[in-house]
Amino acid sequence: MVTPLDVIKKKRAEAVGRIIGRGYLATKRVYVGMATCEIAAGSKEVMEVFNEAITKDGLTDVYLSQKGCAGRCNLEPTVEVIEQGKNPVRYGKINREKAAQIIERHLKNGEVIEEWIID
Amino acid sequence: MVSENIITICDGTGCIQKGSDKLQAAFEKEIAAKGLGDTAKINLSGCLGMCDKGPVVVVNPGYTIYGNVAEDDVTEIVESHVINGNPIAKLAIQEDHLFNRFFRVFGDAKFFGKQMRIALRNCGIIDPENIDDYLSVRGYEALAKVLTNMSPQDVIDQVKKSGIRGRGGAGFPTGLKWQFTADQNSDEKYVICNADEGDPGAFMDRSAIEGDPHTILEGMALAGYAIGAKHGIIYIRAEYPLAIERLEKAIEAARASNLLGKNILGSDFYFDIEIRLGAGAFVCGEETALIRSIEGKRGMPRPRPPYPSVSGLFEKPTLINNVETWANIPVIILDSGDWFSTVGTEKSKGTKVFALAGKVVNTGLIEVPMGTTLRQIIYDIGGGVPDNKQIKAVQTGGPSGGCLPVEYLDTPVDYESLAEAGSIMGSGGMIVLDETSCMVDIAKFFLEFTQNESCGKCTPCREGTKRMYEILTRITEGKGQLGDIKKLERLGNMIKKASLCGLGQSAPNPVLSTIANFRQEYEEHINDKKCRAGVCVELLIYQVTDKCVGCGACKRVCPVNAISGAKKEQHSIDTDVCVKCGACMDTCKFDAIIRV
Repeated sequence: MVTPLDVIKKKRAEAVGRIIGRGYLATKRVYVGMATCEIAAGSKEVMEVFNEAITKDGLTDVYLSQKGCAGRCNLEPTVEVIEQGKNPVRYGKINREKAAQIIERHLKNGEVIEEWIID
Repeated sequence: MVSENIITICDGTGCIQKGSDKLQAAFEKEIAAKGLGDTAKINLSGCLGMCDKGPVVVVNPGYTIYGNVAEDDVTEIVESHVINGNPIAKLAIQEDHLFNRFFRVFGDAKFFGKQMRIALRNCGIIDPENIDDYLSVRGYEALAKVLTNMSPQDVIDQVKKSGIRGRGGAGFPTGLKWQFTADQNSDEKYVICNADEGDPGAFMDRSAIEGDPHTILEGMALAGYAIGAKHGIIYIRAEYPLAIERLEKAIEAARASNLLGKNILGSDFYFDIEIRLGAGAFVCGEETALIRSIEGKRGMPRPRPPYPSVSGLFEKPTLINNVETWANIPVIILDSGDWFSTVGTEKSKGTKVFALAGKVVNTGLIEVPMGTTLRQIIYDIGGGVPDNKQIKAVQTGGPSGGCLPVEYLDTPVDYESLAEAGSIMGSGGMIVLDETSCMVDIAKFFLEFTQNESCGKCTPCREGTKRMYEILTRITEGKGQLGDIKKLERLGNMIKKASLCGLGQSAPNPVLSTIANFRQEYEEHINDKKCRAGVCVELLIYQVTDKCVGCGACKRVCPVNAISGAKKEQHSIDTDVCVKCGACMDTCKFDAIIRV
């Protein structure tokens, strides 16, 4: 008999498959905080910059996702760059210009921008 | 500085007892000996919740967890894992807990490392608008588990075992509430999520919903199964548009995935959830008023008993819990009630979410194990008070809570300890106050709020808070009278005893606690007409000192012509005319104007 646990396991496998289908296995994953507080601090614009880089400027091998609030109110908007085999990098107080620099320097050239890191 | 390797040593009580401090020394020595100072960093975390396998060490990147680490293992971990990148399989432990998942992304930052996240486990980690993200982190597995092999009573027993108490503030044992509602014989029962977050400065529930809406739905469905209810209602304030939007999306996605509605996951269990919007009346956070509001009536509380578990929505047995309580339930089911009860103190289990605000370096949303002290929260996580100012007090519990002075900083956060100290746990507001905060003004601020929000049904709250507010206003305006403090105390205690609901019963708390702990400030306001923090405008006096060169700049900006004096001679301010706007002080280039 198929139990609810069997059903949920299948659903999870399918969900993971869809997430991978959206490009999750890219070398770099970028998360932009998109709760009310982050949006008020300007995260929608930051998201736009990343989005455009991927859809219009042909930035490849980057998985972009929104996320809720992690709790760093005074450092919002926050952006995380997670790379397989490396420690996660967390940036705080990111705006349009800084987002563009993260794309150029970190995502394209692998440079971690120390001065914006949340420690 | 981003280190290539981060070695996190659990610094929770359990691991300390098992010698984690010696491990820290051993790692430091080994790293220095191998010359890895630039590339490896040692980090101490709060309790990682794996006390039975302590001491626990986590090595990043890769998030390898080592359990039962002995001093002898340190060299091997450093040589094999840190230097050569080969994790040691025989020491590594496999953990698939729900809690603390945020640790993989945030664990090595000081602000996060001292926290333990159960309710907020997915906040800031997953995409809240995509059910796939929630499913991928074992979402709805707790629901599947109970539908597969747990009876409703098993579920209630787990919640009871966990020891969790209501996170809305009152701290009633959640398991008992579930049992009472389950024991009622009724064809119709309801499950309600109280998301009517109204405390000024509180945003715990909003963040929890915006970051992880599905966990609320799953928690409610679990309760529906446990108590035999088919309908769930989320009562949320209309001022939270994004939270509402995400809940709506989540409900729709859950229905489409057969996780809400008929025959959930192929079982014969039916449960569905709808959203009701509140118009933002603070009193509607009180459960009986909230229920009235859902029924379409005016949001006013009624006396209890009967409690909602017996007669609630539409006079049917109703289980009502706070957002944060709901967010804990899936973890209790999957990680077990026994595990949950290992976190926290004897009487307060689990963690508590706080909105840390006020005069603190790192403001933010935090979740810590019960029993963490206020000092640890403010200094270890909050980073202390900015600008080298002195901390004066901590306000917990919002308009229903109290102000605790510095002497109480070592109070652990749990329901009993905070109450003993003269405040309350409340729903999780925590405001740090420094020397520039006036305690009378703070008390007045909160009382103004509760007085505005009093529904008016019972006289003690409606009239009493108004009179208290009037007295506080005159004290801050320098018109305080002898005996005002006594009057405030008498009124306050009367309101607490005679009010109908929690709003009135707790409204005087900010006033009473500041009188108890900062009586001198009240006396200074009344007797000396002085506000030491310089907040109460009416009590300030602006004076011109002999630094004045008579340039006349202040005279020109004064909006009421209160300043006089001949050119190149010391000016003076007519205190009776002065409106204390401070424009002269801001304008003076010679720091010749002082405020006393």
